[in-house]
Amino acid sequence: MNFSMIRYILGWVLKLEGLFLLLPCLTALIYKEQQGFVYLAVAAFCVFIGQLMSFCKPKSNVFYLKEGCVATSLSWILMSIFGCLPFVFTGEIPSFTDALFETISGFTTTGASILSDVEAVSHCSTLWRCFTHWIGGMGVLVFLLAIIPMSGGSHINLMKAESPGPSVGKIVPKIKQTARILYLIYILLSILQLVLLLLGGMPFFEALNTTFATAGTGGFGIKNDSFTSYSPYLQWVTAIFMLLFSFNFNVFYLLLLRNFKKAFSNEEVRWFLLIVLVAVSIITANIYEVSGNLFKALTDATFQVASLISSTGFASANFDLWPEICKTTLIIIMFIGACAGSTGGGLKVSRFIIMVKSVIRECYSYIHPKSIRKLQLDGKDVEDETVRAVGVYVLTFLLIYGLSLFCLSFDKHSFTTNFTAVLATFNNIGPGLDAVGPTCNFGFFSDFSKYVLMFDMLAGRLELFPLLILFHHGTWNGIFRKRK
Amino acid sequence: MFGNHSGTKEKMRIIIVGCGRVGATIVEQLSKEGNDITIIDKDAEVVSSLTNLYDVLGVVGNGATYSVQMEAGIRNANLFIAVTESDELNLLCCTVAKRVSNCSAIARVRTPEYSQEASYLKEKLGLAMIINPDLEASKEIAQILALPSALEVNSFAHGQAELIKYKVPADSMLNDLAIMNLGKTVSQQVLICAIEREGEVYIPSGNFVIKEGDIITFVATRKQARKFFIALGTKVKRVHNTMIIGGGKTSQYLAEQLLLAGINVKIIEKKKKRCEELSALLPKAIIINGDGTNEDLLREEGIETIESFVPLTGIDEENIMLTMYARQVSKAKVITKINHINFKKVINSLDLGSVIYPRYLTSEAIVAYARAKKDSLGSNIETLYHLFDSRVEAIEFVVRPDSKVINIPLMELSLKKNLLIAFINRSGSIIIPTGQDCICSGDTVMIVTTHTGFNDINDILE
Repeated sequence: MNFSMIRYILGWVLKLEGLFLLLPCLTALIYKEQQGFVYLAVAAFCVFIGQLMSFCKPKSNVFYLKEGCVATSLSWILMSIFGCLPFVFTGEIPSFTDALFETISGFTTTGASILSDVEAVSHCSTLWRCFTHWIGGMGVLVFLLAIIPMSGGSHINLMKAESPGPSVGKIVPKIKQTARILYLIYILLSILQLVLLLLGGMPFFEALNTTFATAGTGGFGIKNDSFTSYSPYLQWVTAIFMLLFSFNFNVFYLLLLRNFKKAFSNEEVRWFLLIVLVAVSIITANIYEVSGNLFKALTDATFQVASLISSTGFASANFDLWPEICKTTLIIIMFIGACAGSTGGGLKVSRFIIMVKSVIRECYSYIHPKSIRKLQLDGKDVEDETVRAVGVYVLTFLLIYGLSLFCLSFDKHSFTTNFTAVLATFNNIGPGLDAVGPTCNFGFFSDFSKYVLMFDMLAGRLELFPLLILFHHGTWNGIFRKRK
Repeated sequence: MFGNHSGTKEKMRIIIVGCGRVGATIVEQLSKEGNDITIIDKDAEVVSSLTNLYDVLGVVGNGATYSVQMEAGIRNANLFIAVTESDELNLLCCTVAKRVSNCSAIARVRTPEYSQEASYLKEKLGLAMIINPDLEASKEIAQILALPSALEVNSFAHGQAELIKYKVPADSMLNDLAIMNLGKTVSQQVLICAIEREGEVYIPSGNFVIKEGDIITFVATRKQARKFFIALGTKVKRVHNTMIIGGGKTSQYLAEQLLLAGINVKIIEKKKKRCEELSALLPKAIIINGDGTNEDLLREEGIETIESFVPLTGIDEENIMLTMYARQVSKAKVITKINHINFKKVINSLDLGSVIYPRYLTSEAIVAYARAKKDSLGSNIETLYHLFDSRVEAIEFVVRPDSKVINIPLMELSLKKNLLIAFINRSGSIIIPTGQDCICSGDTVMIVTTHTGFNDINDILE
């Protein structure tokens, strides 16, 4: 293990976080809030520690997949610990556990909150909460790759560990250019949404926060009722952008290149839209009677489906009160999640497609036992190695799911609460059903359960294995021997 | 800050088809120089292992098809290199690429039948370059056999000047000699430009003292180099006979050249059929059908008395063993070909004498071409060689009238450190420069340096 390289990268991540913390400082300046000083102090502290850690350059540039995974996991943990300090010191979330939960929920773009009254929080803290979504959405290490000159091609391992999806590729030969293009698309889409929200009459501060929360597919609300009181126009704009941010970003790049034919033929996005369409139709049909108005039913259904499949977690209606079939549909799309290569969470549509196709292949192999059939995605063969990895991923996902559910059951809440709490955190969505429904929060869980859910959030965002290898003894072999 | 894809500095967009040994070496060299590289190979595993190592984009598929080339971005590519296993496929790849885009295409062609028609193919198919690693390797071996005391001979300025690598033996008069005294005691017409000692490479200044066991690299004209060796009391006569083990393509090319120069050639080849082919192709050579790794056979064929010995089997380990055996039982000049294995440090420590790496020869030629092409004003680099495992580059530049270095005495130029101007070629005559000499427009100048990535003669300035 190249620990000095990991230290160097962590140092840079902290420095970047210090930089990001200046945005809430600016907000505090505008709204003349005292809490700004806390943010400034934490920012300075981050830069100081980061500078210490990245002061001497590592001797060796050797960087393999395991270093990439360890560096990524540790960065996210470190970032969350430092990012929660302002909440603790301003006294807005006095408990460290709660503050950490809130921050991890922010960075992992979950949007599960422990706050019962979000409107009471100062402007700068509100902005920081939402801004963590924006940073976590595309990933801080991708940002690092975009701005810091790093030689060698092995840094693809950082991106692999951080970006969601079964197979991570570049869109242009240089990793730096790739990272820049991804952030460019991210920024452009964010600006577009911001402008459209402003046109709909949303105040600037609310529009900015909503954009941050949508772009990262996070879902921290700035109002206690989330999206219920906004106009249908704003709900539609947000719903559409939630869907856009859960597209595979390669599609946007192809659109930028004006390669429309290839962009529209992306198989994953087509499946995604199909799933959305089916879910919206089912729900609209079933809530039509309750809402009594087709447009209202369609708006609510679309908004909820977009919000949950993209793993954002905004709510424009209390879907906990909807008929059972609607709730079940929502739970299913929560599992499926967004497209690979997006900012969303969940199992990812491409994994879902591969799984469905391998089930079909398995059936086929019973009819023709000696047949050989390659899975295809986007007109290209999927390597058996990828299919295997998807299988193992889903299995690991279910194992951790079960284990988390068991850990939560000590708290004596209902099964629906526990089941959807794990679902909502593990898939980085936010609200679940019953006691963690859209109008409730996660504050009532015990500290132990909160740590379990924090682990789930990180594991879900980093796609399990980068975080899991932290617990494998083989990862830490070198560190003890060196000390002797 | 974001999205300025094109960039201010013009980058080369290169597509490489085929990720075998040569392909991988080219990827390594060209990606170091900051080019945008896309690789194409049929084997997904090979592609992913290379994309994990280097900052390149991988495409899996048949590089000769239009759709795969389009996916790799052929329309915007500047350079297209086809180095798959098959010559025909390489030529087809380049032909397809040339129809689609305006890039320069380089194909590897190894079959001797095609190779004879290389210039015709190049012209008719509009290729920029046809490379033949076997032919290049055989040329290099022939050059060394013409001057057996040298470890390595590279020619510059169309053969006018030679860059010669030489190991200083125990009883040499060079021992304990400071380089500034070289002119007084041995020869003025020789310039030592790099010295390897105990694994470190130095670009020496005047006070550098040569020691026994140093590997020196010097520049001189062909004639002066021979005079220099005579002054040192080293053999300069070329060899009279050669034993080649293995009857592959390199052996065939080498034998052709050696026979032309009047050197007797004996080839030992295992396969009967190939032996028959060779005897038809090379009627003057002695072709032996037998196992070249058999000790008895080697003795029977006179390995103890032979003047030079070149193991060219397809297996590197065998070549190394044969070299070590030959050095033990005879005084022959031995040249080892190493194609595949990577343990360069181990190989260096074995003290094999002259070692040839065909894949590096190929990648050097391509890197030189790519760098020359990068310069928007047209070709500036004439030749490029990597010395001492690419730690030192020797580059020959053409100086154009707009260069910043012309007509200034060399002593007044503020040159980068670890850099040496080895010779100036002014209309065919080689000048070993002193501080008073100037570079003029139209000269070609050779630079020896430990820096990498020079594109232009102006890069030598601080």
